[in-house]
Amino acid sequence: MTVTSYTERPVAKAGAKLPKVNDEPDALSVPWSRPRPKRSRVSARVVSAITILVVLAAWALSARLQLVSPVFLPSPAAVWTKFITVARDGFVDATLAQHVAASLGRVFAALVATIIVGVPVGLAIGISTIGRGIFDPLLEFLRPIPPLAYLPLVVIWFGIGEPSKILVIAIAMLAPVALSTAAGVRGVSQERINAARSLGATRAQLVRHVILPSALPSILTGLRIALGAGWSTLVAAELVAAARGLGFMIQSAAQFLVTDVVVMGILVIAAIAFALEFIIRRIERVLVPWAGRE
Amino acid sequence: MPHLVLDKVTVHYDGQPAPAVERVSIDVAKGDFVVLVGRSGCGKTSLLNVAAGLVEPARGTAAIGGKPITAPGSDRAVVFQNDALFPWLTARENVAFALRLRGIPPGERARRADELLALVKLDGAGDKRIWELSGGMRQRVGLARALAAEPEFLLLDEPLGALDALTRERMQTTLLDLWTASPIGVLMVTHGIEEALVLATSIVVLAPGPGRVVRTFETGFSRRYASGEAIRTIKADPAFAAARGELTDAIFEGEAA
Repeated sequence: MTVTSYTERPVAKAGAKLPKVNDEPDALSVPWSRPRPKRSRVSARVVSAITILVVLAAWALSARLQLVSPVFLPSPAAVWTKFITVARDGFVDATLAQHVAASLGRVFAALVATIIVGVPVGLAIGISTIGRGIFDPLLEFLRPIPPLAYLPLVVIWFGIGEPSKILVIAIAMLAPVALSTAAGVRGVSQERINAARSLGATRAQLVRHVILPSALPSILTGLRIALGAGWSTLVAAELVAAARGLGFMIQSAAQFLVTDVVVMGILVIAAIAFALEFIIRRIERVLVPWAGRE
Repeated sequence: MPHLVLDKVTVHYDGQPAPAVERVSIDVAKGDFVVLVGRSGCGKTSLLNVAAGLVEPARGTAAIGGKPITAPGSDRAVVFQNDALFPWLTARENVAFALRLRGIPPGERARRADELLALVKLDGAGDKRIWELSGGMRQRVGLARALAAEPEFLLLDEPLGALDALTRERMQTTLLDLWTASPIGVLMVTHGIEEALVLATSIVVLAPGPGRVVRTFETGFSRRYASGEAIRTIKADPAFAAARGELTDAIFEGEAA
């Protein structure tokens, strides 16, 4: 075959003679549903936006028509007004910003503690059979226990101070961080390890320069899940002897039936969780740009 | 001159009913280019890993210059099939990592790494991230990183297996140029019959179940390249076609047995 024959390959000719061949394939020749083009008529985002608007409208309408007492369901406007007043004047002796700062402070302190403990534990599980034997059952035991169940024990052991609150959050964060780290460590390609070994890397160099960076995408995923888990134990952590914090604010409001503050607090917690997720995804993109591209 | 010698090597992985390789002997002198060919499952990579010191043979010995191979060493360097590079580093940093493990002082590493990248014809790509490079360029980085160890023996585990035909041909000349320019011994694993003929000074044909040597060819095409003949001319030689037929037959004979 000569090179020139490539310019005249039959496929190109058939395509030219039979235009629109792919537009409307014979229904009988395609027994399964046709693959659709990526471009969809409505995007999921638009549907989500509409869903949120409908929920808000239903909420506003039921409040306006007084279908339920405002004690049970305050109107969106009332919640918004409350948001402004609490942000400016505060609620139970602290402004909204102070509540948020207290809660974020606890969650980040717990996050730091979890990284210090969880990453080495995950590494131990991932690289050594003994480490796996030790830590796997402990984590599996800890993982399914709800924070409200171990909270009393933590208080009995460590008192009602700030460390107890951070510990309650950190316990909820530990399993996701450690298990994601372990999964990342076990997922390091054998060839990459062999390459470093054949270049003369010691075991310590292997861990520091090959295994940890390779596991970094997985570790970051673990941190993202852990932040979500930690943030959702906030109310439990602030149940006992807190003077500030979003969870504490909601509980105080509930005791006085200030429902608009409760609803506002829930929305703020949700908004911050959303923001944290967004920020850590950004961090992932900066720190591990190679993830998913190898 | 030291030889890399595998003597009646048997590799038996834990939990496997049969050995992957049985009583295979291979001798690579410096200046040799020995190529292992054979279908999947004939233990080519296992043998290479034994030579690298990454896999311990169940029986038999592996040695360089009479000194037994028990662990990876600086006298050998390995290039793997899939790039075993570090994606969080740039091309230069990947090469510099090998220099660092050899104890080259930090100030010298970047310059040496750039020299090595130029050697594999990757000048100016030092700042590129690994995931920004094409498959062929990645394998060149892998090659530069292996050369950074200044090995006496280069072990290549199907380094061109994932490349397209044109890139592969260019990489073959790069490999030959490097081999010609330095007194290095090469042990390479490949699936490519033509590739084996172009590169090898001797070809070892292996058959699977368990991996064993069925035939050994001495070839001279790479020596002809080394003495100045063009690759195209060599490939067009009827002797090349004849050798290709004979080699193909040998591989399929092993299959039938």
